[in-house]
Amino acid sequence: MPSEESLVRRAQNNDQEAFAQLYEEHFDKIYRYLALRVGNEMEVEDMTQQVFLNALRSISSFRWRGVPFSAWLYRIAHNQAVDHLRKKRKRASVPLDESLISSGDSPHSTTELKMDVEQLLQATRRLTEAQREVISLRFSSELSIARVARIMDKSEGAVKALQHSAIVALRRTMLVTEQ
Amino acid sequence: MKKDKEFNNIFDECLERIVVDGETLEQCLERYPEQAAELKPLLETVLVVKEASAVEPRPEFKARARYQFRSALQEKAAPKRRPFFGWVPRWATALAIVLVVLMAGGGTVAAASNSMPDSILYPVKLATENVQLALTTSELSRARLCAGFADRRVVEIIYMADRGDAHQVEVITRRLDDRLDMLVVLVSELEADDANGAEAMLSVPDGGDMEPLLVEETAGQGRGHGQPQNRAGLRVVVAGSAANNHAVMWAMLDEVPESVREALLEAIAVLEDGYEDVLQALE
Repeated sequence: MPSEESLVRRAQNNDQEAFAQLYEEHFDKIYRYLALRVGNEMEVEDMTQQVFLNALRSISSFRWRGVPFSAWLYRIAHNQAVDHLRKKRKRASVPLDESLISSGDSPHSTTELKMDVEQLLQATRRLTEAQREVISLRFSSELSIARVARIMDKSEGAVKALQHSAIVALRRTMLVTEQ
Repeated sequence: MKKDKEFNNIFDECLERIVVDGETLEQCLERYPEQAAELKPLLETVLVVKEASAVEPRPEFKARARYQFRSALQEKAAPKRRPFFGWVPRWATALAIVLVVLMAGGGTVAAASNSMPDSILYPVKLATENVQLALTTSELSRARLCAGFADRRVVEIIYMADRGDAHQVEVITRRLDDRLDMLVVLVSELEADDANGAEAMLSVPDGGDMEPLLVEETAGQGRGHGQPQNRAGLRVVVAGSAANNHAVMWAMLDEVPESVREALLEAIAVLEDGYEDVLQALE
């Protein structure tokens, strides 16, 4: 299994297979990250594709300075999400998308999880930008604290604190919703 | 403050144990009896959040996105990997330049290679393909080009189907048919391989489950990564393209407006017949 660094170097030299491998490795995670940030399925799909097309266009500008490739990719996704949400904020709020599908297998669990997705999307809107970012990266994309810290350009301690405060806030919102 | 920091560390450690190591909530709480009361609701919330956020992209979307990304990859790699005029005699270079300038100018041609049928640059794209074919002398290279152009037609069909343009889907389907017919003729003229098998002639990328990518290439280049060097190698690539194109088109059927479905079904039938003929000719 080639290292991420060697894959990126090959991709920068126009090696299509290397870039295709990076794409496969990160596609679902970027999708999940955007799903929790943006919420609307169609928009999430468009933006996920755009992240990789932007990455393809600007891969030559990526430099290894101790920052992993995924951090760069999430930075592109983050910028797109922020830009998108800024534009969207000017318009009336759009209802949450019910078509986002959770990966639960049985019809029963799908129904339950779907409710949870909606609840979660609604709850994350009450978080601060940084808290939402931590939740998306940590639990949707399943990244380690160290990696999240690099992506967000924060210390690991700061990320842990954000994670804690975000979970407390989500807990509070969920309890209120249940009542 | 220090207490908060300590709690955050414990909380995160529990998270790692549950999420990464598969430890149960109870096991984790037993490790930290003093913090258990505070940890429990938070960890429960994390489990709900984690489960809820495990959304998956739709398979049709994934297939379409992958296809479009690979097309973009090919388009990006093509100009740099192909010193288009590097191998041809001077007279051919001059002729090609004249043709290209007459058609629209170099920048336009480069932009045209990404164009879709609803773009004004699309005729330039088709004309450039014909010039490329005319300037390529080796049968194998022409066959590879032709197979790559067939892939382009499939992308265009998907693009126009997505936009609900049944007429354009029909028009491009005819072009796809022409390309696949031409491919049959070209591969029929290829010489039989020597003892080397397809495996030896087609370098397979690491990490395996990727379909081989077809890259258009003109004659005279050295052996490229993933490039077929004989008819057996070409067969592997064409079979991969056929399977991929077929899967993407089928996946699109549920996505497109009802008005385009019939045209898309016809395109699938043409694609199936065409590739079957090509693969038979490559036997």
